Parts: sequence; structure tokens; C-alpha cells
Amino acid sequence: MSRKSERLINLTIALLATKRFITKSEIFKTIEGYEGSPEAKGRMFERDKDDLRTLGIEIEVGSFDPLFNDEAGYRIKQERYQLDLGEITALEVSLLSLAAQAWQGASLDDAAQRALVKLNSLGIAVDEANLPDTVLFFSDGGVDLAMITMAIAEHQILEFTYRNHDLSEEERRVVPIGLSTRSGFWYFTGVDQDIQEVRTFRFDRVIGAFSAKRGPEDFETPEDFDAQRVFDNTNHENALVDIRRGKGTSLRALAIATKSMGEWDQVQIPILDMKTLSSLLLWHGDDVYVHSPAELREEIIATLKGLVNLHG
Amino acid sequence: MGKGEAKRTSSPLERTSRLLDLVPYINTHQGISLVDLAEVFEVSTEQMISDLTTLWMCGLPGYTPLELMDLDFESGYVTIRNAPTLAKPRSITHEEGVALVLGLEVLRSTISSERLDLISAIGSLSQRIAGLVNLPSALSASSGISSEVTVSIRAAIKNRSGLKISYHSLYKDEISERVVLPLELIESQSYLYLHAYCFTAQDFRHFRVDRIQSADTAQVEKPSAAPTMSPEKIGYQLKVHKLTRDVAERFEEPNLEAGTVLKASSFSHQWITRSVLASGGAVELTSPTEIRSEIAKRAKTILNRYEG
Repeated sequence: MSRKSERLINLTIALLATKRFITKSEIFKTIEGYEGSPEAKGRMFERDKDDLRTLGIEIEVGSFDPLFNDEAGYRIKQERYQLDLGEITALEVSLLSLAAQAWQGASLDDAAQRALVKLNSLGIAVDEANLPDTVLFFSDGGVDLAMITMAIAEHQILEFTYRNHDLSEEERRVVPIGLSTRSGFWYFTGVDQDIQEVRTFRFDRVIGAFSAKRGPEDFETPEDFDAQRVFDNTNHENALVDIRRGKGTSLRALAIATKSMGEWDQVQIPILDMKTLSSLLLWHGDDVYVHSPAELREEIIATLKGLVNLHG
Repeated sequence: MGKGEAKRTSSPLERTSRLLDLVPYINTHQGISLVDLAEVFEVSTEQMISDLTTLWMCGLPGYTPLELMDLDFESGYVTIRNAPTLAKPRSITHEEGVALVLGLEVLRSTISSERLDLISAIGSLSQRIAGLVNLPSALSASSGISSEVTVSIRAAIKNRSGLKISYHSLYKDEISERVVLPLELIESQSYLYLHAYCFTAQDFRHFRVDRIQSADTAQVEKPSAAPTMSPEKIGYQLKVHKLTRDVAERFEEPNLEAGTVLKASSFSHQWITRSVLASGGAVELTSPTEIRSEIAKRAKTILNRYEG
């Protein structure tokens, strides 16, 4: 099947080399590999154009002479074809290599390796001396990340089935606005179309596949959205909790303020989700005590009563 | 992880893409050996020879030696001349851009905040790549692992030296100081673990790297004592009263129904107690009875504080 590759390469070279638009008949006359009846050649050319587009190569269509409404012409612009990252330093190339290496064995490994080959083709030496010594790898359990970022870029609606807190399954329609990973889990944030509010979802709680649909025309990303702060939202009510000294390390990691009070420390923890926080507080047993809000206290008291009833 | 290992077959499109990327690569790596080149592009040497043979026939219309690429690989080393149109690397695709930007993000999260030079370089790169592939600036990635800790661990493994670590044990909820001899870093189910000989426990242990709060070099002697017996697993039985996602995830049992009786085991008595408390009445521990009555006692003690 080398004939097809050869023809595609020759077509790319010819369309890149030309300054003016060249017409279909010129292409058939000069580029090797177009054979058969005029109709067959035409079909071949249409397929070739689609194939190049699939490879990310944009073919510009224009008129040979704007004064005459004659045959359409084609060309590929060098500046759209080439990788242009502006001035790039050895340190930057090295950082990009490290970034690509993080995908080893994960879903975007192939894409990352292809990008790396292109970067290495720039002919810039790698600056390893200045690099951080990191050992990080992505692990994404096969999430189609490029599909999600495409949906973010084009404001598409993602439809999927989600496993809720109570294990019930619910259909969701979400315009995604952010993608994040933390502690080995992948999350995406989006505007839930049924309630028009921003929600964050964990990928491994999605059941089955996503389907992407055309999104609302007038969609705008909420102004206060910041991908870097998905997990430390400050717009939440805080819980006031006492934690025994030297205990509750994972709770302390969530706290936004800590005040030492002898045997106990008093901390403030933003409430992202009442049930999740209550469960985390119960995990810590009698090393924690909740002062406020009343709603959280009541939740914990009711749960404790239930536990006593079940096990007493 | 496919490095250097040849891929099976490739479609004409994959092949075209590879041929286009070969030209700029050879252009900046004149004289590279066929074997190395095949490895970079993850194909067999035979496939690489076939690729180069095809490229050798390509060029500008006219296809006389003047218009064709001047490609030489007979000696086993590859050089290219006369390929100006394809000499520059192709722009990156959306998918490649996503891989790079997310990779940069995770890198940023591991760099110590003093390296302002690296942090600003990463910021500028992210922006330029996102701009190239129309990528929303809405991606974030962080590892939760301190870079100082991983640097120390790597150095200790390399120099076969000991480490003093402070480790947060989730089950006991205690931070303990331990002296260990690091052996290797292992990745399992999205977490990075340190496999080490622990002098405190006098046995081999796995530590979650994200729970190691600090790591400093320490003097150690080679472990002499024979490893102690591993602790015994505690069997337990639960009855599910309410279906919740927490319970399914905590006890790693996806197929739950109300009334399900679950049998499992754990190394930690603490873990069982805390897990049942945190499940908040959604599950009932039916055995062992000592832990069951301890849960009741603990819940009562805490309740008394709230109501007292």
C-alpha cells in the first residue's frame, strides 16, 4: 500500500511548495499517482483531501484568478502546516519532553510520543541539567481525555449516566468547562444543563460511554470558574471543628484556618458536601468534635444514634 | 510500554503521517543509524527501510533527480538533502496538545515553589500550546506528592542509603517516624508506593508516597534480623442496610443490594472500626463481636459528648 502514502506525500509537497492556488487538472497532470478516468481521479482526490484533513493538514481552497469565476484551486499554507511555538529554549524543550514522558503506559502515550518526535525535530539540544527530578506518571484507566477537551473547546453537551451518592443512576447533560486530576482520580467540571449549576464529576463514577451533542449556542463559561481551584472552592460555608492534637492529619489537610487550644486545635473546614464531610468526621471517631453548623451536628448525631441502634 | 518495540502493521494514513514526520527528524539528526531511527518511530528496521524507500521516490512534480529528495541510507546511516518543503516539523494535533498541556500541569504541581524559572517556563509553554490547538485553559492536574520527598527517595535508592521518614498512617491516624532502607518505587492502582525495609517494624513494608511527609538521609546498618511473621488478617462480616456509593467504594463491592451480606478481611482492626463508623449506619458489622461492641461503645461515647 505504499502507492497511496507516496501519492499523499507528493500531494502535500506540491501544495506546500506552490505560492498560488493550483487547480485539480494541474494536480492530475503533474502529480504522480492519479490514474484512470477523470471521474476516478476526481474521487481519488476527494478521498486524499479528507485523509490529509484527518492528519490535521488544512487544505485551503481558493480561486486562481478572483476576476474570473473559474476552476477552484488548492494549496497548503506553510505557516499552518509547521509547528510554530515561537522562540523556544533548550530548557523549554526539555520540560516538554518530561511532560510527554508522564504519559508512559497511559491513554495519551502515543499522542505524547508523536508530539515529542516533532519537538525533537526542531533540532534544539536538551537541557537536562536544569530539570526537576520527578517520577510522575499519569494513570487514567482509559478515559478519552481528548474527547473531553474537544467538548470543552466547542461547548458541546456531554450526555452520560452517573452513579450518585446513594448508588442510584442518573442521566446527566453537562457542558464541560474543566478537566482535572488529583490523587490518581480524574474529574471534569461542567454546567449541569438541567439545574444550570456548576458540578464536578469523577470519571470512574460514569457508567458506560459519553455521547457528545451540539451544545447551546449562547453558552458562556461562568466567569468565576477557575480550573486550578476546583478543589478548594472558597464560596462554601465552613464547619467549625475541634481536632485532638497530633490527630486528624487528613482533616487538617482540608482546613483553611487552625487555632491551637491546648489539647485540641480548632479548625475551619469548607463544606463541599455535607454527607462526605460527615462521613470523614465519623472516621475520626472521638478525636473530633463539631461545633457548627447545626445542620452538620444534627447529621452526625442522627448517624451516631443509628450506629448505636444497629450495633448495641 | 511499547518503547523500542515494533508495532504490528500500520494503515496507509499512519504511514503517511510517519513519513511526513521522518523528513524533519532526519534533517536535524543527519547520520542517525537506521536502528536508532526505527526505535524513535517505534517500527521495525525492515519497516523503516521500506518507509525510506518510499520517501526516496517523493518530491516535487517533475520527479527528476533534481526534484526528488536526496536520501541516503545504504550505509546503515541516514542522511537527507534537498527536502526544503517538508523540512520543518508539522504542527501538533489537538490530542497531542492535550497530552502536553496536562503533562506540563502535573509537572508544575511537583516542582518546588522556589524554582520560579521552571514555573514561569511551564506557564508560558502551556499558553502557547493551548493557543496552537484551540485548547481551553481549563485543565488542571496535580499529584499530591511532594517533590522534595521523591527526590530524597530516588537518591536513597541510588546510593543504597537509609532514610528517616515521617509517615501518616491513615488507619491509626498517627504520624510516625520510621527509619527505612528504600528498595524501589512501585506504581499500583494510580498510587506511587515506596517498597522498603522498615527498621522500626523490622520487616518489609510498602508506604504510599503521598503520605510520606518528609524524608531525610539516615545512617542504617544492613537488615540482619529475620523478617517477622506477617500480621494475621481479621475476617469480618457486614450486612448492608442502605445502598450508598461510599459503601460500594470503601468495601470495593460494586454489586450491592439492601440486605447483602458481605464477607471480607483486613489487616487492620482500626480500619474495620473506622470504616463502619464512617459508613454511618449504611452497614452493620455482624462479626467479629468484639469489634461490633466496640463500635457501639465508641458511637455512644461520642454521642454523649454531643448531647451531654
